[in-house]
Amino acid sequence: MKDDAKPELSTPPIVPRRKLRVLGTSITLLKPVRDRAKADLGFDIAFEKMDFLSCQRWAAMEPDSYDIYEQCFHNLDIVWFWGALQPIDIGRIPEWDNISDLVKLGGVSKYAGRGRGDAPAKKLYVQPGGFLGPKPSRYVSMLPTVHNMDSFGYDARIFGEGPDVRPSWAWLLDRRAKGRIALVDEPAIGFFDAALAAEAAGELEFADIGNMTIDEINALMKLLEDRRAEGYFRGTWRDGVEAAELAEEGAVAVQSMWSPVYGKLRKARAHFVESAPSEGYRAWHGGGSLSRHLRGAELDMAYEYLNWWLSGYAGAVMARQGYYISNPQRAREWMMPEEWAYWYEGAAAARDLSGPDGEVAVRAGERRAGGPYVDRARRIVIWNTVMDEYNYAARAWERFVRRVNEGAAT
Amino acid sequence: MIRSVNPLAQEPRYELIGRVLRENILSGVLPQGFVLLEGPIAAVMQTSRVPVQSALRQLLEDGLIHRFDGRGYLVGQGGADVIPIRRDIRELELEIPQVVDEALQTRGTWRHVYDKVEEEVASCQIFGEFRIVETELADHLGVSRTVVRDVLARLQERGLVRKSPSSHWIAGPLTARTVSEKFELRGIMEPAALRLAGPHIRYAEVEALLERTGTDPGITPQYLGDALLELCIAQAPNTALVEMIRSNRLLLSSVDRALILLGLPRDEDTIEQYQTLLDLITHHPIDSACEYLRYHLSITARRYLARMKIVAVIDETGSFAPYLSPQ
Repeated sequence: MKDDAKPELSTPPIVPRRKLRVLGTSITLLKPVRDRAKADLGFDIAFEKMDFLSCQRWAAMEPDSYDIYEQCFHNLDIVWFWGALQPIDIGRIPEWDNISDLVKLGGVSKYAGRGRGDAPAKKLYVQPGGFLGPKPSRYVSMLPTVHNMDSFGYDARIFGEGPDVRPSWAWLLDRRAKGRIALVDEPAIGFFDAALAAEAAGELEFADIGNMTIDEINALMKLLEDRRAEGYFRGTWRDGVEAAELAEEGAVAVQSMWSPVYGKLRKARAHFVESAPSEGYRAWHGGGSLSRHLRGAELDMAYEYLNWWLSGYAGAVMARQGYYISNPQRAREWMMPEEWAYWYEGAAAARDLSGPDGEVAVRAGERRAGGPYVDRARRIVIWNTVMDEYNYAARAWERFVRRVNEGAAT
Repeated sequence: MIRSVNPLAQEPRYELIGRVLRENILSGVLPQGFVLLEGPIAAVMQTSRVPVQSALRQLLEDGLIHRFDGRGYLVGQGGADVIPIRRDIRELELEIPQVVDEALQTRGTWRHVYDKVEEEVASCQIFGEFRIVETELADHLGVSRTVVRDVLARLQERGLVRKSPSSHWIAGPLTARTVSEKFELRGIMEPAALRLAGPHIRYAEVEALLERTGTDPGITPQYLGDALLELCIAQAPNTALVEMIRSNRLLLSSVDRALILLGLPRDEDTIEQYQTLLDLITHHPIDSACEYLRYHLSITARRYLARMKIVAVIDETGSFAPYLSPQ
């Protein structure tokens, strides 16, 4: 500087506050979570929120641009095998022993169903040669955090209500909903809603729905295309806001749904209900991973952030939008007993319950479809999956979605 | 692959023609005012007129020739006093360097364009299914449709393209099934060939390579894979088997190269496996190397399938040649 004639007034050296860069999606990067993490941890956090596919691409190709990658186990192959991440040492995760068997073993108990496809256990532990598998080791690919069992929502005025109604994935292809059906547009998610529907409707049968062959994919896409041509589909959606709009407008009678969306419904709330499908759930499991470049103090900071996720607060916020955490007992410490009873134990809400944004998400007396956590988790039949033929299936899916939405526009 | 020895063999034909004309203008063999006509030049160069047109356009831009009030171009900068010299170019003793002449001689065949097309057609297949229109490929390469048909026939023979029921040329898509089948074939053929090759392996070269592996950064997994094929497996005295092995690896290697271009990082685990394999080949009974090769291939197949999944989320703009139309 030229004008430093007044040395007594020179500014003190600026010590930049340390900063952690987190790349993730709208699933976990909620405002209360972001704010609380910044307040609790002794460093700044920059959050970058992207849509699912962009997030995966960015994570794989630009590992130097982030420190933590928050995503799901099912699409971990994409990033892991591009060499973008480094293993997590479970010796540095104090809560590790409290993480549930659903992710470690693949089921909530020895006898619970395991679910087909990319169960998180299959991608959890780092194996010799850099592969991922279920055999326990000291290192894991992703620290398991948020998860849920997804299903579809339906208009009870069309499909009926009461204990005799047995919701089936087949409703996503049901003629009673013709022209008023929507699917979530994500080839590792909506694709399986459609596949479950095709099997449940007796139209197709897959040897392994979690790893379909080319012929099976072709058969599914042909079925969808035929139904599309007949005018079955109203559209597709990519995020909860779009899903809520479709239900609110009364544009759909049945569609793929995510739990947080139910809490956002107003007009449609009375008749658009969550299903507990008789065939079982499609589940997913999220978590956080470490970028490959982290070393020393930066790595320590990243571990602090990962451990913060399991310290309870974040798990409680997730519960309020219908998502579960991998170590529920810590989250329970941050929840009101009524919240815990409703979200985890399947009890009727003792009073109105707020969502993560503070707005009422659940009315007193309501009961969650599917019952307690353990019952829902026992009934997982498929996990969101990036199959071997994903590259082929995703392209076919994309063509189908494009045609659905072109049709909707005309 | 068919690699030509001539360094100019892969150069576009119009550039070769331009080069000959330019040198002859500069040396004065083609005098100021000489009228250049496409037909006779094409006859001298033994090509069609299309590349001659491109070559002349280039010379015009470079200011070596100019347009005039008549058919063709005049050599030189032009001016009112230049008198057009109308003679048949075939009567002049054009200087055509031997290397250019040879390159031009092979122009009539499909070989000079084949390697590039093969690479492009193979690597695009991770991005789905593509149609190849003969005329578009001919325009792109600056060759005749006859040459294009020869190229496509060769690609078909190698299993890289097929004809659809409506007689369109189709490439891809590369599926996990195809990859698994190709690796399964590798697991059957390559260890068998390695065993047959035992007495014929170029051991001294393998030893030398082994010494450099791990220290020389130029030695990539792809380099080692090619070396293993050339120095060891391809030494098997069964040429039909070796040809099948080469053919079967073609698509896999092209896709590998495409993934590296997309940014796939170097894989140290694979390099270590090659080191073990080369060590077994040079210092131990060949059977142990054959078993290890089988193991190495099964691991490589799993890794390959996992890596292919990323292609579904990649922006594919500009990743394939213009004559390939996504279906």
